[in-house]
Parts: sequence; structure tokens; C-alpha cells
Amino acid sequence: MTALYDEQRPVSVEQHYRISHFLNYEYRLLDDERFDDWLALMHDEIHYWMPGIENRRRENLLEHGFYATDHMAFFDDSLRDLGRRVARFKQPSAWAENPATRNVHQLSNVEVYYGENDGEYVVHSTFQSVRSRGLDEEYVIYGRRQDLIVQDGESFKIKKRLILIPNATLTCKNINTFL
Amino acid sequence: MEKVFLCAVSDLAENQVKKVDSSVHGDIAVYNLGGQYYATADLCTHATASLAEGDVEDDLITCPVHWGQFHIPTGKAQGFPCEIDLKTYPVTVEGEEIYALIAVDQALIAKG
Amino acid sequence: MGNMIKTIDVTDSLTNLKDACDLESGRISGKIFYDQAIYEQELEKVFARCWLFVAHESQIPKTGDYITTTMGEDEVIVIRQKSGGIKVFLNACPHRGNKICFSESGSARGFICNYHGWSFNVEGNLVGQHESGVYEDSNFDKSKWGLKEVANVDSWKGLVFATFDPESPSLQEYLGPMTWYLDALFDNQEGGTEFVGGCIRSTYECNWKIAAENFVGDILHAGWTHDSAARAMLGGSVAKVSDFEESYSVNWNGHGYEFALDTVGNVAVLGESALNRYIHTIKPSVAERLGDFRSNMIGSVSSCTIFPNFSFLPGQNTVRIWQPRGPNKMELFTWVVVNKSAPQEVKEKWRKGAMMTFSPTGVFEMDDGENWEYCTKTAKGRVTAQQDLFVGLGMDTLLTDTPLPANVYEGQLNEANSRAFYQYWYDMLNAKSWNEVPNRNVGKAEAE
Repeated sequence: MTALYDEQRPVSVEQHYRISHFLNYEYRLLDDERFDDWLALMHDEIHYWMPGIENRRRENLLEHGFYATDHMAFFDDSLRDLGRRVARFKQPSAWAENPATRNVHQLSNVEVYYGENDGEYVVHSTFQSVRSRGLDEEYVIYGRRQDLIVQDGESFKIKKRLILIPNATLTCKNINTFL
Repeated sequence: MEKVFLCAVSDLAENQVKKVDSSVHGDIAVYNLGGQYYATADLCTHATASLAEGDVEDDLITCPVHWGQFHIPTGKAQGFPCEIDLKTYPVTVEGEEIYALIAVDQALIAKG
Repeated sequence: MGNMIKTIDVTDSLTNLKDACDLESGRISGKIFYDQAIYEQELEKVFARCWLFVAHESQIPKTGDYITTTMGEDEVIVIRQKSGGIKVFLNACPHRGNKICFSESGSARGFICNYHGWSFNVEGNLVGQHESGVYEDSNFDKSKWGLKEVANVDSWKGLVFATFDPESPSLQEYLGPMTWYLDALFDNQEGGTEFVGGCIRSTYECNWKIAAENFVGDILHAGWTHDSAARAMLGGSVAKVSDFEESYSVNWNGHGYEFALDTVGNVAVLGESALNRYIHTIKPSVAERLGDFRSNMIGSVSSCTIFPNFSFLPGQNTVRIWQPRGPNKMELFTWVVVNKSAPQEVKEKWRKGAMMTFSPTGVFEMDDGENWEYCTKTAKGRVTAQQDLFVGLGMDTLLTDTPLPANVYEGQLNEANSRAFYQYWYDMLNAKSWNEVPNRNVGKAEAE
């Protein structure tokens, strides 16, 4: 996606705090399985994208280096698609979610810049998602994120999210959460 | 200038390269680029390899061992891993025969 | 030829394998999913001998285009030749054995080993080394030290397979009449198929056979396991398979394909009406090309495994290899297959549809993964591993009077394909040579 912004124009400390707070709140909603509240933070035109990472030589890079828009992805979702994923989590027959997966989502290295248009912000961050299932399963996914956040009244909505993990092979069986 | 016979015109098809052994001047690679003939040193300037075993693509020769490239008309090295330009020789065609014009290096002959 | 691989000496069969399977009584033992000794036999007697899927032709269209993958746990490079053919090499330098290509795909003029600079061209020939003079001083014969090439490479309708074993039957003989069924997905339109770019890989703590067997003939699990996913994608439950008037389980040499004739059942779970429309649009031309029967299979409720570890779902169009990584570990490589002639927006919807359903984030796959891992993990218990597991559905369903090729069983809610899969696996593990693999095929070897 690579939204346009000026690296020389970070937002004020106060705005930085508001946006960081919003993103921390978003992560807590996921940890608390408040999926409908989480979906409500998505812009109608959300593009939620986590491309597959390809291990390629420097002389054979893709459109964006290790990933490309028309290649396979983990997420390449619109609001409808995210809604379908949430719908599965909520089924009593989502057998693999009972007992529940216990999640801890952490966000750090937050940088916030003014975006191209008024009320738009480009946020770079890193994340760590820890999941535990059953008695002893633990899966950790690290990555880097780039969000396009838009002002929505007193709060914000997420209009674009690009999620990049360093792994070309996912070290676990699935991603039964959002990142 | 010494005139060194390379090969007959009929022995070198278009966009081909041929190695001519020469113990005096070092082996020479002769090229036919769309009817225009060129000659360079055959030994790659990077590692031990005969450029005549490589591929001609447009006006570049690609070394068969590490795929470094040289510009055939000028001998210019095109980047990693080749840093040193290739020696080139003027070519004349006399009837059916292709010759390279090679400046005689007295020092080399003395060592010879 | 000096650069052909040396075949391995096949070791004796395990004595404790006798009670692993008794498929005539419809039972297998849990220990086949959690036993290091059995796993090591599999690497040598299954993966070092059978034809294994390595690439789709469309992934490597031009000279020097390559992908890297594994055949069992052996790393290989699959590369397009100047001649238009494809070669498969061990991805290991013949000098000290270092891996020579670290990239999953790309285009190259050759490969240079990072260790001592041995350089190989697209044909696998050794063309140079760092300090080449010292090799000349040792009378080194370059022509003998190229990349090691597998015994055979062949393809069927764009699917490229390779085998390490020069004694293995031809690919055509190995696949047998299964090719008639493969064409329902891989040759239903002029121009054939292609893979969407990329490959999604994930890691399961499960035995590879559980996944392969799930695709060979287990539609039974879908209605139960995938209820949540179906409700999410369709707003209702999965089609009730027992309601289908006509469905089959067919198998040959351990390969198996189970299918209904409902045309769009698998496509429908992607929840994209454009894809249902596409299937209906092409169906008349498929009928012309392959006949009415197979035109009903192009996106129907169905699944297939080609023994040992290549599987796909027509309709969802996910294509995958279950890569063995130990008795209780597997890497899953997945791709998306589409008709070359399909409109771009149709290809795009399949790229996303496969992701939404059968991928590590897919709403269907999440419930599979949990099941497969725990089918494996319970067998860690020494007592549990000795228990019999039931695989006896549809014992008397063989159809002897059918025009369909291969071993044909009535109904897809049937464990006939699973039994055939485990039987072939068991036969391979007990056979020291291909001559010792019993021919258990009873159906027609060719379509009428």
C-alpha cells in the first residue's frame, strides 16, 4: 500500500498519544474477543492486507521486494471478508475455539505522521502476537505494520493496514487472530 | 600493428562468438553482431573462463562461470563481479576473411 | 552419466510393522503417526521411490526460471532448460554438500556455491571454481562433478513430478487412470491451468499421512468439522453429502479422488457469486471437451490426493504438498490453481477465495489443523499408539459393473480411498523393490 506521508512531519505529542491509545485499545478488543467492537473500528473501505513473504535473491525481487499485490496472501480483506472471519469465531461450532485461544497482542515502535489528506495519519509500528491454546501450545508472531488511520469524530478508523512478518514459512499451523 | 587472422566469415553465424587460440596475443574472442564483427580478449577479467563459451545477448557477452557481462564493442565491464574492462581489438574484413589488428607489445614478446 | 544421483540401498522392512495395518478388517494402528523408525522407512521407501509433485509448468516458463522445493526431506532445484525441458537437481553442492540455492524462486543463469565458489550452469554442469588452477593441478575432471540430477522428471497437464528412483514405473503408469479424473480440474479448458504467484507455507505438528488421507477420501469430516466455516461463508451449514444422489470414491495405486456430481459445491463455499457464474459459463464447453460426467466435477464437493503427498480441492482450487518433517511435523506448501483462459477478475477471486477458506488464515483450515495435530499427538502415548483405529466404512461398496476407470466405490461418504491409501503405504514399506509391490487394482486401467 505504502500511503504517502512526509517523514519530516511527525504529529504532535498529544496526537501521537491519542493514536497510540486508539491502537492499544484496538488490540485489547482482540484479546477480549470483542470482535464486533473491533470490526466497528474498520473504515468501510478497509484494505486489510498481509501478503505472503517470499524468500528471493536481491536480483529477483518482486514488485515490493519480498511480496507483491497479485501474489498469495494471508489476508487481503475488505470489510465483508473481515466480517466473515469474525462470523466463524462466533459460531458455537468453531470447535478449535473451545476452549478459547488466549491472546496477548503487543504494539511498540509507534511512529505517527501526517498523511496526504487532512485527518489522515500514517502509523508505523511493530507488533508481537502471543497465542496460547490448550495446556501447552504457544505461538508467537512478530512483525511490522503500516496503518492508514483516519479521524472519525473524536476517534479514528482504520482505512488501510499492511502487516509484514519476517517469516517466509509460518512457524505455526494457522493465524486464528487478527494482527 | 599486427594483422591476425581470426576466422572465415562463413564460420561465424550472426550473434555468435568464437574462440581463436593465440599463444602470442592471448586467446581472442570474435563476435558477429548482426553482420558487424568485433574482437576482444577471450579470457574473462574476473576469473578463469573463456568468454566464447558464454552467451551473446544484444551487444553484451555473458561469462559462463559467474555471469559477469562485458559490452562487446567497447569491452566495458558491466558491473559485479566484473570490474576490469576487456581488451578490444579493431577488426577488418578482407573478402571472406576476418582479421584483428593487434598492437605488438614489445615487452610481452621479449618475455615470450 | 556422472551427474545422475546414486540411488540409496533400501534397508530391510521393520519387523514391528506387521500389526500397523489390517485394512481388510478396516483398522490401522495409531503408532504409524508417531514412530521415528517408521518415519525413516517412509523417507527411503516412499519419498525416495514414488513420483512426487515438484512444480507447475507455469511457475517456470523461461530458460533459467527455477523454484526450490523438497522431495521428502531432500532439497531440490526445479529449473527450466534451454531445450524447453525441466531438470531437477539436488540442492546441494557436490564438493562439501552445502546448499547452493537459498531462494524459493527466481530466474538464474546458474548457481554458485557460497562455500568454495563452485559454479553450475542451468544444465547443472560444473563450469568453474574459485582458484580453478589448483583443481587443474590435481587433474580434476569437472565433467564428473555437476549437480546431481534426479532419476526421472515428467509432467501431466502442467503438473511436474519427479522421482529419485530409476526403477520406478513411468509417471503415466504410476498415475494410471487417475489422470482421467485429474483432467476435470487441470484440463477443463483450452490452454490448461496456471498457478497464481507465490506460495504460502505453514508448519503443523502433525504426521503428513493424516492430512494426505484427509484429502484422499474424507468428505465425512466436512459437515461436522467445518460447520462454523460454512456458516460464516454461506450463512448455513455445509451441503449434506448423504443427500447427493450420485457420488463416488475412486482410487488407484494409493491415489484417491472422492467426488459428487453437483458441479459447484466446493466453489460455493468461497461465497463469490462471480465464481459460481464462471463455473456455469464454462460447463457446456467442458462437457464438449471431457463429456457430461466430468463437467459435473469441475467445482463439485470433492477432494484428491496423489500418493503420497500431493493434494488439491477442485472448486476452492487450493493445491498443496504435505511435506514430511519428522513423524510429528509437517510443512504445508500451498498454491492456487486457475484456468489460464479465465478472466483476470475470476483468477483474482480465486486467489482470495482460497486464502479465505483453505490457508493458514482460512476459516475452514483452522478447524482441520487442530484435528490433525491431535490425531498425531495422542499417539505419543505408548498405550494409545497400540490401539486400533477404525477405517472400515463402505467395505462392500466396490462397483464391478461401471464404465468409470480406476477402482470405483459407490458414495463419497466412504473410507475405501483411505484404506487404499494406507494399503499402498503399507505395501511400499514392505517392498524392497517395485516388483514386490502387489497390484491391488481391480478396476479398469483406462476410460471407456
